[in-house]
Amino acid sequence: MRRTQSINDLDIIAAKIRAHVLEICRQRGGYAAQGVALADIAAALYFDELRPDNDGWFYDRFVLSNGHDAIMTYAALAETGHYSIEDLRTINADGSWVDQSPIEGQLGFEMTAGSLGQGASQSAGLAWALRQKGSDQRVYCLFSDGELQEGNTWEGAMFAGHQKLDNLCYIIDNNDMQASGHAADVMAVEPVPEKFEAFGFASRRISGTDTRELVDTFAEARATKGKPFVMICDTRLWDGIDCLQRALPMAHYTAKGAVDWDAGVAEIAATLATLEASRHD
Amino acid sequence: MLLNGPISFDPAPFDDISFDLASRRKDVVIMSADLSKYCQVVRVKTELPDQHLDVGMAEQNLLSVAAGVAKGGYIPIATCFACYITRRAYDQMMICMGTGSGPGTNREAGPTNIAVGFTPGIANPARIHHQAAEDLGMVRAIPNATVIDPMDPTDFRAAVNAAVDLPGLIYIRGHRGDTPRLLDPEKFTFELGKTYRLKEGKGIGIIATGHGTQWALEASRLLENQGVDHSLLHVPTLKPVREHEVAAFAFAHNQIVTVENHQIVTGLGSLVTEIVSDIGRGPRITRMGLPNRWAPGGTLSHIRQALGLDAETMARRIAEMAA
Repeated sequence: MRRTQSINDLDIIAAKIRAHVLEICRQRGGYAAQGVALADIAAALYFDELRPDNDGWFYDRFVLSNGHDAIMTYAALAETGHYSIEDLRTINADGSWVDQSPIEGQLGFEMTAGSLGQGASQSAGLAWALRQKGSDQRVYCLFSDGELQEGNTWEGAMFAGHQKLDNLCYIIDNNDMQASGHAADVMAVEPVPEKFEAFGFASRRISGTDTRELVDTFAEARATKGKPFVMICDTRLWDGIDCLQRALPMAHYTAKGAVDWDAGVAEIAATLATLEASRHD
Repeated sequence: MLLNGPISFDPAPFDDISFDLASRRKDVVIMSADLSKYCQVVRVKTELPDQHLDVGMAEQNLLSVAAGVAKGGYIPIATCFACYITRRAYDQMMICMGTGSGPGTNREAGPTNIAVGFTPGIANPARIHHQAAEDLGMVRAIPNATVIDPMDPTDFRAAVNAAVDLPGLIYIRGHRGDTPRLLDPEKFTFELGKTYRLKEGKGIGIIATGHGTQWALEASRLLENQGVDHSLLHVPTLKPVREHEVAAFAFAHNQIVTVENHQIVTGLGSLVTEIVSDIGRGPRITRMGLPNRWAPGGTLSHIRQALGLDAETMARRIAEMAA
């Protein structure tokens, strides 16, 4: 049983996730640009692709490899109701239990992801174990293009390809942006699909911001047999909120005073109103 | 007495330990990084192939895949040389295997992640790169980790069997090749953290772990012949150790000597010194082990002699202290 959402509904959810990201990050700053850009992936993943279990959680397993993108998971799980916005507003505050980059075992976080480049292997090990058990659970792992510079990532990919883990889907946030600037300038990672194909993967390169394309790509990943799948998502920071993207296109980390949060909130509200109106058409 | 009579040798302790455990526990996966043969993982690989997983020559992958296997409901036992499983993959050991369980994390008891490091210290003939002289200290520094350095096939087996029921990261030093059977399996019962008196005496107290306990027993026999009174305490668990047992032993003696197949910084010698120092006014502690300089390569007996860790030199030094 797969939850079925209309594309319009997924777009509405994505807009709400973007609104949550702004609401959470505006308190003390954060990786808001990444969270906003990943909202469509989060909507497709949490509201369509991951199958629910009987305990109000997810049957399939999602592994976040880069702690920076935890904001995406927080915002998505605020929309599912697993986290409250009140709690998430305390992110980064002294004494808050809401870690900017969470530790293994916190709801929604399978691994400690702040040390980058370890998700490809851990999710592959998890996928191997689930297959070994005869489970039909699938494993999804999100990591960043910056993590493609870590050797451990390729060790994990080599293992996944060698083991033909077709229950494993990597999602790469290929945003060409890392701490020091564009990945293309710091240490080029392209061509990403070809590299993974050489490691035994099936691949598809998409924008990462089109929910229909995302849903279709997840379906293609599920239908792929005998090899793991990688979807390379060419997102750009702030995708989905034009005014912030124009104002701050290079924001690896968004400080509290760096952007006009109200303008972003207003744009999202307008987007949401348009989407809601078209739902009722 | 916990010790055996005449000594016999176990040619491949971990081959039997891993095979017996994997036969009994179908949720155990023995993992290798291209060194299965050299860690004596033979029977599991050939007779229980579903319970063996090789990740290739990639130690970071070994421990990070292992952590994923643990999250999938299995108990991974990652095997490799001690130098690589700790030094080469320390971040994966700490972050992937070591942050899912215990105080300061999100769970009281999380998945079991076991790593076994073979040919530790100078038990490897290839100097520097193959010798792990700092592995115990490295893992001891990880919060909530369990660290065990067994002395022979009996407590090695017991430690591995106990580890599968422990939460979090467990690091065990492995024995490979002809290993003397020193403990009497009928009388020895392993308990995590417990220390074991192998010889009762007065005056000088020797505290040892792992191969160091083997060396201390050799020196002990010479000291006995010379009539030098002494005691010997085997400390297989470096973390969490029953500190009160170590302290009680230390304060019952005039002087303490620690013996370990590890640098004299950060290992057993440091542990004992820290325990005694925290209490204060304790006996003098002499740390015997590898110095904080590169050890030579070659056979174990050659390296021990070069570092003054052969039985004769150790016994002479201890006898001089007692005089």
